Amino acid sequence: MAVRVHEAALPTWKDGTVMRWLTSVDHKRIGLMYIWSAFTFFVAAGIMALLVRLQLAQENQEIATQGSFNALTTMHGTAMVFLFAMPILAGIANYLIPLMIGARDMAFPRLNALSLWIYVAGALILLGSFGASGGAAQAGWTAYTPLSGPDYSPEVGQDLWILGLHLVGVSSLLGSINFLVTIVNMRAPGMTWTRIPLFVWSMVAQSILIVLTVPVIAAALLLLILDRQAGTSFLLPDDGGSAVLYQHLFWFFGHPEVYILILPAFGVISEVVPVFARKPIFGYKAVAFSSLGIAFISMIVWAHHMFTVGLGDTLNSYFLVATYLVAIPTGVKILNWIATLWRGNLTFRTPMLFAVGMIALFIIGGLSGVVVANFPVDYQVHDSYYVVAHFHYTLFGGMVFGIFAGLYYWFPKMTGRMFDERLGRLHFWLLFVGFNLAFIPQHMLGLMGMPRRIYTYDRGGVFEIYNLVSTIGAFLMAVAVLLFIVNVVRSWRTGPRVGNDPWLADTLEWYAASPPIEHNFEQVPYVSSHRPLRDLRLRIRAQRNA
Amino acid sequence: MRRRLPVLGFAALLALALAASALAGNGGIAPPDSATDSGSEINELYWIVMGVLVAIFLIVEGALAWFILRYRRRRGTPYEAEGPQIHGNTRLELIWTGIPLLILVVLMVVTIVKVPSVEARPSADENALRVHVGGHQFYWEYTYENGVVAVDTLRLPVDRPVVLTLDAYDVIHSWWVPELTGKRDTIPGRTNTLSFTPHTTGVFQGQCAELCGVQHAVMRTTVEVVSAEEFDAWLAQQAGVSISLGEQTWQGVCAKCHALDGTGDYGPAIAGNSILADEAQLKQLLAGGKDDPGVSGYMPAVATGWPEDDRQLKALMEYIASNPGLAPAGAQGG
Repeated sequence: MAVRVHEAALPTWKDGTVMRWLTSVDHKRIGLMYIWSAFTFFVAAGIMALLVRLQLAQENQEIATQGSFNALTTMHGTAMVFLFAMPILAGIANYLIPLMIGARDMAFPRLNALSLWIYVAGALILLGSFGASGGAAQAGWTAYTPLSGPDYSPEVGQDLWILGLHLVGVSSLLGSINFLVTIVNMRAPGMTWTRIPLFVWSMVAQSILIVLTVPVIAAALLLLILDRQAGTSFLLPDDGGSAVLYQHLFWFFGHPEVYILILPAFGVISEVVPVFARKPIFGYKAVAFSSLGIAFISMIVWAHHMFTVGLGDTLNSYFLVATYLVAIPTGVKILNWIATLWRGNLTFRTPMLFAVGMIALFIIGGLSGVVVANFPVDYQVHDSYYVVAHFHYTLFGGMVFGIFAGLYYWFPKMTGRMFDERLGRLHFWLLFVGFNLAFIPQHMLGLMGMPRRIYTYDRGGVFEIYNLVSTIGAFLMAVAVLLFIVNVVRSWRTGPRVGNDPWLADTLEWYAASPPIEHNFEQVPYVSSHRPLRDLRLRIRAQRNA
Repeated sequence: MRRRLPVLGFAALLALALAASALAGNGGIAPPDSATDSGSEINELYWIVMGVLVAIFLIVEGALAWFILRYRRRRGTPYEAEGPQIHGNTRLELIWTGIPLLILVVLMVVTIVKVPSVEARPSADENALRVHVGGHQFYWEYTYENGVVAVDTLRLPVDRPVVLTLDAYDVIHSWWVPELTGKRDTIPGRTNTLSFTPHTTGVFQGQCAELCGVQHAVMRTTVEVVSAEEFDAWLAQQAGVSISLGEQTWQGVCAKCHALDGTGDYGPAIAGNSILADEAQLKQLLAGGKDDPGVSGYMPAVATGWPEDDRQLKALMEYIASNPGLAPAGAQGG
């Protein structure tokens, strides 16, 4: 027998532990690096929010005023949307999509690494702009012109903001093309379009939205940087440009953006709820296709962010009608989740707590959306704290609770260890109570006339009490997030080890080892329904009994 | 105990909301009672929408809570025990797609039918009072048809239709006085209008609702609705006097950054600065603004759109000269 001699590979610069991660093209490592970076920026943007809430805790405070306050709100919004929400979804999807569809990796592993590093570069530029002369951008996360133009935001922070967003946008585009190609081409044998996991379906809809709308914000930002640096005036009214044009471009991206953020969270809920209810999702096709419906309608509702611009009753009425239509597929999903609970055997482990909490909170955000979409009423609530409360119910109550559900649910898969259930529950309840304390009073503040983005007020009484309660809630949320960090760090190192499938789940990622081996699977079972793992369990049990 | 925590939180909040409503108006449960018809129409619409939403909220959250309690795993039932494997029910799903659609269509129709009364259009009304509203960093300039100018405080007669013509001179602002009606943006390069008829006298507070820069938070406005006679008398009197306009201009235009006594706040101290007594230099500064390289921030061109005859500038100088704390030494006058 011939003895095969392996040529000893020379150690290269890539062989250090850190360098192996930094040069990795493995979707799981890239996914985890996405998640860690995004979570770091979540903490950073959260600290900005705490400073904002401190400043507003009482009337006439002087903790962060004027320019520094505007920089905090601007960067809080920008960082939460572009540095936390989009990338953490990209991270979770990166980790899961190949595993869920039974593939070895993404279709384009190097492109995948490129997406990650472009994002990190953009993020560092954005956050680094705090150190620029004149500080970070102050024109709001929407950066309306002419405020964001050269005359009213001459500081370099605004330019860095544009550059950073451009990079993050390119990263998202590359990432979503990669997801689409992977999902279309690399599914396991037998996995037809009505058998792919619902999280993957939500990523299909999300990726299509990114490909169609991110180029539009890129165009808007290009016009803005030209106006700022090349002397053009596309968006500057003084020289014949149009301030309203920028708003149309921004919101043509900006509204789909909220669905870019919420659709994958919907996908997470559609995975978690059936497993902990021990039932199949109620109406797989409705849940899957409503994602596409939401994606389509979300692209024709943008100017409901512009009701007070004075577009006229005809356009406003159209955008009211279109916006109400988007509530239909969203409502379908919620009712399907609730129906999935019906007659189930519900176990409230931490992921399920977050999933159910997400449903409860997202309903509130969805309903207040019906208020703000009603344009005569929006004349009162637009740009007030009511809107701040509304979108935090959808994006924090909806999206972030969904993300936490997913992070807990897949934690055993990613680490091979179980998290601490008691800390997880405490995290949930603190966050749930803190969140409602922080944001319920903001509805009232908005209706009482508190505009967004003001750094001070001098109304005492109830107005001040609401603000104080909101600040207390925000700090409770911060404590809850600290508990999460403690739980993750501790459980990753010392949590009890788990097998491949601790939740007795439905989808293929639980067929892989925990954590999965580098090429994910030795072999992939034939997929004959949208719950291949349950099919497998039933087959094994039948064989044993035979 | 753990389950009681959120219940307690909500109870506390509810108690707070109720106490709040007892203390002050409606405590933010709805937009404030409106002094105009269009504002009242908005409130009515708000309550129609809220009524529907509260019903939906109770049904959906109720079902969620009921299922959570009713179908939670019982003691002795293993985790892996499956519920009935129900994959869906097309008829049921069609019903719960159809009913929300129906509700929303009704809301759309109700809203669109109401739009004309929200958007009162007395533009054709000969009797309507027309006021030009100029949004500036960081003040409101009100110009009446007879040329009278007021800063930050808008005075209106009761029961007479008002047509506001809204323009902006630098960035976008938004004119919002919640107790009158909804907001309307002032956008450079386009002119908006906002019409309403105040039907009660009183003083109403409002402020800019669109982020407009460092002092967005203090870009406030007051609307005083007074009797027709009082209004006419005031308007006639303002046409002659200028010192009051000077004071309003100092307080609204200058003091927000330079402080009431001119000792500086966000902007530098200007009390006693010789430019304050030099008409040519002051005019140039106010019309052109100032952006020193190396100094963070800038002074906006605050006087854009001021009356051509320099009335407002002269009034401002007159006010400064009459104020010993502000006027440069040797330039103090009556």
